[in-house]
Amino acid sequence: MGEPASLQTSSLSDPAFRVLVVDDDPDMAAFLAHLLRKEGMDVDTAGDGDAALARVAEAVPDLMLLDVMMPGPSGFDVCKKLKSDHDTALMPIVLVTALEDKESRVKGIEAGADDFLSKPVNPPELLARVNTLRRLHDTRRELETRRLAAEIQRKEAIRKAFSRYISPRLADRIIQDIGFEGGPFKGNAQRINVVAVFADLRGFSGLTEGNEAGDVVEMLNAYFAILTDAAYQHDGTIFNMSGDSMLVGFNVPFLQSDAATRALRAAQDMVSRFAPVSAQWERRCGVRTGVGIGICMGEGIIGNVGSPHYMNYTVIGDPVDTAARLMQVAGANEILVCGRVYEAVRDLLPAGTITPRGDISLRGKTESVPVFFVRT
Amino acid sequence: MTESSYTVTVPKDLEDLIPMFMSNRKKELVALRSALAALDLEQLRQFGHRMKGVGNSYGFEKVSVLGKRIEDGARSGDRAALEACITEYDDYLAHVSIVYG
Repeated sequence: MGEPASLQTSSLSDPAFRVLVVDDDPDMAAFLAHLLRKEGMDVDTAGDGDAALARVAEAVPDLMLLDVMMPGPSGFDVCKKLKSDHDTALMPIVLVTALEDKESRVKGIEAGADDFLSKPVNPPELLARVNTLRRLHDTRRELETRRLAAEIQRKEAIRKAFSRYISPRLADRIIQDIGFEGGPFKGNAQRINVVAVFADLRGFSGLTEGNEAGDVVEMLNAYFAILTDAAYQHDGTIFNMSGDSMLVGFNVPFLQSDAATRALRAAQDMVSRFAPVSAQWERRCGVRTGVGIGICMGEGIIGNVGSPHYMNYTVIGDPVDTAARLMQVAGANEILVCGRVYEAVRDLLPAGTITPRGDISLRGKTESVPVFFVRT
Repeated sequence: MTESSYTVTVPKDLEDLIPMFMSNRKKELVALRSALAALDLEQLRQFGHRMKGVGNSYGFEKVSVLGKRIEDGARSGDRAALEACITEYDDYLAHVSIVYG
């Protein structure tokens, strides 16, 4: 009975099975290499243990035939070293030796040898042993290929899921970190300096009153698509979409030294990219729309908030509250920023682009905060 | 020992390897004599061990047999036995004829 089709091995299209023959006797090495080459294997030889280790360091063969008694490191030493190395531990090693005593076999097993062959070498026995290990090797390689394919599939699924909330670049970075303490979305909440961007659609109520539900949803989707693209372009993380507003965070989950600048650029892109769509809607529905945006920087708390059945990666705290308040105050196509964002970006913008807009009072706070208007 | 008793049949596909094999055996004989003259028993043991492994693999049973005796003689320090083995090896290499088949 044959093997399952997917596990059949050694077809003509397979790369040659690579064997390293290690023997200090050149005649023995030539003899073994000759037998294996006759079977279509790709054979290299090494004259001692050090040369063998050097060859393996260059390229790990698929199998090693290893003499035991050699000048320098013995076959046992070489075998032990290779079997304790993560990169070579799975490479099958056949110890070839004239030693017949049980003690040497035990020593070979302890060194991690996969099989033994006695000198003088019996060619049919050699080929039988090598072919058995070759089949095992090929099966192992097939399983490893499948495992890698499954891993890629799993990461792709995770990437797709993450990409609904974060930019594809951030998603890729998170996937790289998976397996290390749960990556950036670990269970523990943390305080972090965050730049919160709140964007809201002005004139939304006018759209809902004068249009069919399907049209409203389509328009909202077009609007959010623009905002999402702008956020992702600058590696922002979308924390929330609700009604016609969106909350985007910067400096989370990965630190961004230029988080304030990224936030402002994303906001400017949101306004400028939405403008032609807004003009089209006005022509079609007679309703004026625009994006109002508030940006604030400060210490917030990020973490997974919710129940065991429903969770959100969430940011809360002063910068979020203040950004929301600034967004409420902002008119259509206006960007308002707090003092800290102003300090972070003012030297990067052309003169006159960012100007004071007075102070606003915040709910629950006695002091008012200075507000700055960014010309788009 | 007659010349005819030293006939060895070697598989045809090994024919290309035999000239090098025989050349190495002759070098080995010289090295064995030097090691014996110096009474380097460890060197003699290693040569014997190597002969034991390689001889029969190529079909040269006598090389393996002599190798085993040299290895044993080196272990026991039996100089006379070693000398006899090396002389026999010399005779063998001088008279062995090879048939490919």
